Amino acid sequence: MITAIREERLLVVSDIHLGNPLYRRRHRFVDFLRFARQNGYPVCINGDGVDIVQNSIARLRHDLRGCNREFAQFAARGLPIYYTVGNHDIVLEQFLDDWGVVRVAPFLNVDSGERRIRIEHGHIYDEMFVKYPRTYDVITVLGSAMLRVSPALFRATSILNTALVALGEWRHGSHRAADDAARLAEVIPGERPVTIRAAQEIAERGFDAVIFGHTHRAGQVELSGGAWYYNTGVWESDPYYAEIDDGRVTLRSVSSIAA
Amino acid sequence: MSVVERYADGEVIVRQGEMGREMYVIQHGAAEVVKSFNGRAVVLATLERGSFFGEMSLLESLPRAATVRAKGDTQLLVIEPGGLLLKIRRDPTFAFEMLQHMSRRIRDLDEQLMHLLNETERVESDTEVRISGVVKYRPEPAGESSR
Repeated sequence: MITAIREERLLVVSDIHLGNPLYRRRHRFVDFLRFARQNGYPVCINGDGVDIVQNSIARLRHDLRGCNREFAQFAARGLPIYYTVGNHDIVLEQFLDDWGVVRVAPFLNVDSGERRIRIEHGHIYDEMFVKYPRTYDVITVLGSAMLRVSPALFRATSILNTALVALGEWRHGSHRAADDAARLAEVIPGERPVTIRAAQEIAERGFDAVIFGHTHRAGQVELSGGAWYYNTGVWESDPYYAEIDDGRVTLRSVSSIAA
Repeated sequence: MSVVERYADGEVIVRQGEMGREMYVIQHGAAEVVKSFNGRAVVLATLERGSFFGEMSLLESLPRAATVRAKGDTQLLVIEPGGLLLKIRRDPTFAFEMLQHMSRRIRDLDEQLMHLLNETERVESDTEVRISGVVKYRPEPAGESSR
């Protein structure tokens, strides 16, 4: 299993949720893949690329059609596509590798230029996912059912999920810890201190940057020690991607490539 | 609270045979692993940024298996036995990387062992051929001709 790679250039996206009726930006993702391929960038899909937990098969078939054509052209050009699994596609780990289209990894340590960058979805630092798996499952199933009825109802479930996570963090005293992580999390609206703390912990093992997805909160913040944390957010109205070029990481809006 | 140590070029971080319970992760710089062999110092490996060492002493409470010295100015994250569990709890991918590293080391040792066994077998077989050659060779008695 690969976890360490060297790529001088790489584009990173996350949380596209292909197949999930809530996210309707599939064409933008195909545009993004085309842009990457035409400019010779390898791509890393940093978790929750294909939504296996909350999807509609019809939607998935529709969403994957254009992507598959692009994936095939990446392979023809010899450009790798890396896939670091998230909580909505963890079961795909078993199949994706065998299909031979993408290289699956639990996380990636990327050497680029003189810098080291960690790419990881970040769900394993989610209090709800790790500490309350049954509650998480119930909410996910509930969310899936809501999604079939209406995206608005699904959003209500998401708010419930966020509230429960906040409650969990409050119970564990995260709100009281006015530490660096809590202060830094405020730089990215809605970001959780627990995520920043995890990035900080990883960064101190000799990384210059840590790139997560999962929390759907795009942004960047400098961690104590000088490393940077980036989150590529979710593939919604104005999605972001991270560009790695000779070790430098830049968070860019997908709308900038369409221009 | 993380403990960080800094070493200058050539400075010894851990010494072969000495007791020590800490393991180290290279935050900046590099380190050389040196082992004493028949009175000579043999460089076994150069560890780059992000690599770790000293985990064998931490896990087994045994003396250091090799000497490690800084290669250039080097900054290290120091992890103590109690701190390792906390580190793994906060950064589980570190455990994954440690296991991956140890698995790779076992595979390398297996390959080296197989290589040594093959070499030994080849040398033994060569020696057998030479010995049998010597045994088969019977010099003719002096003064006698084959004709």
